[in-house]
Amino acid sequence: MPGPPSTEQAAAPAAAPPTSDEVLAEVRSLLVDVIGDDFLLDTEIELDTSFNEDLELESIEFVALSERLLERYGSQVDFVAWMAEMDLDEIIALTVGELVDFIVTSLS
Amino acid sequence: MARFLVVVPPLTGHVNPTLAVGAALRERGHEVAWAGPPGLLPSLLAPGATFLPTNDLDIADPIEAVRERSLGLRGPAALKFLWSDVLLPLARGMVDGTDRAVEEFAPDVLLVDQQALAGAVVARRRGLPWLTSATTSAELTDPLAALPQVDSWLRGELQTLQVEAGIDPGEAARGDLRFSDHGVLAFTTEALYGTDRTRPANVHFVGPSIGARPPDDAFPWAWLSDDLPHVLVSLGTLNAEAGERFFAAALEAFADEKLQAVVVAPPELAPDPPPNVLVRAHVPQLVLLPRMDAVVSHAGHNTVCETLTNGLPLVVAPIRDDQPIIADQVVRAGAGIRVRFGRARAADLGAAVSEVLTDDRYRDAAAVIQRSFRAAGGPSTAADVLEDLACRP
Repeated sequence: MPGPPSTEQAAAPAAAPPTSDEVLAEVRSLLVDVIGDDFLLDTEIELDTSFNEDLELESIEFVALSERLLERYGSQVDFVAWMAEMDLDEIIALTVGELVDFIVTSLS
Repeated sequence: MARFLVVVPPLTGHVNPTLAVGAALRERGHEVAWAGPPGLLPSLLAPGATFLPTNDLDIADPIEAVRERSLGLRGPAALKFLWSDVLLPLARGMVDGTDRAVEEFAPDVLLVDQQALAGAVVARRRGLPWLTSATTSAELTDPLAALPQVDSWLRGELQTLQVEAGIDPGEAARGDLRFSDHGVLAFTTEALYGTDRTRPANVHFVGPSIGARPPDDAFPWAWLSDDLPHVLVSLGTLNAEAGERFFAAALEAFADEKLQAVVVAPPELAPDPPPNVLVRAHVPQLVLLPRMDAVVSHAGHNTVCETLTNGLPLVVAPIRDDQPIIADQVVRAGAGIRVRFGRARAADLGAAVSEVLTDDRYRDAAAVIQRSFRAAGGPSTAADVLEDLACRP
């Protein structure tokens, strides 16, 4: 389990911003945490994996994911504000890769 | 005496709460009629009730078929489908017929189900007083507040619907077809809804409106043992087909437990139940609930309210639409535990059922809501609000 939300940790200026591969690995691990690895035996989480159609994320899992993202990256990655900019089709089609790009951009 | 027209969609769960309200109004000497697509609706109304069809062709069956096609959808995809493929086309198909029904019946007040938008269009166009009948309270919570782009898309669609029907664009922008300016009937109480939650200013929490439905489904009452706790598992009329995985987890969870479970499911979707599980395609839910100790539900508003009317705790596994919001209400009120639907594990489900059966806090919280429901008055209070609107100058 990650620790409580910590903005200091995410804002530490000395660390270089993570690469896309590193963020993808983090997001994968958060998703395995939220969904449960017993449900992901036949599923590879890749950049083009969609949250809605491929992962069939339920609303409670989506909330859990956004909480884990806040815990991991702090307020620098403003997931809620990012979602607020999307229209319905964009939300329906949202992929892991888009989330990874957003996190990388937010941290750089 | 006043005349009330109830405008409903061809969906059983949305018609049911209006039946007891209409009956209460008729007992007080008022004239009541229902308007909606033919087909399903007349069979749901009380014998002798006035029904005014809004359509020549039966669009009820296509709407049901469309909903069936949508069963695999979740979350945002289900939201888009509900509005773009079900409710907005339904409204466009019902506007002219609803207007004819108003012309013919000449109501003083309309009671418009929140999903029968045509009733709201016609009432606004004619300047008639109308109340919204919110079958589920989810829409009252401003569920799209965190998604302003989606919220403004939906508001735009609802304005377009009015403008197409000849309502001035400025006037269309001032009103919301989902929430009448004259008031909203919510068939719940603040004990369940949450006292601190946002809501429209003119909402009336009248409590559930549960009429006496004919108990036409036979049930093997002798199967229920007096010595074991009883659990009902119901995913609602529209979701059973999507529940195969969930039913399997339930059967596994209940095997070898000291309880009896009644699972409402098509038998082929819940094969080989253990001896302490009874699988039935239909049950007389209202008369069965008093014999139960807990309910596992998809968190449909009607089933949740029927369960809490009996003071029973819940395990909720919301699937789509309003269900995640209603499940959240149950959890916040302390009357139940939420589990996942699509990824239900037998162990998680079994632990949740065991907890609501053995920890008195869930039953106590359910009893608090049960008392609030009794105090709210239900159909009688709803009839008061409608009468008040009819008498207003």
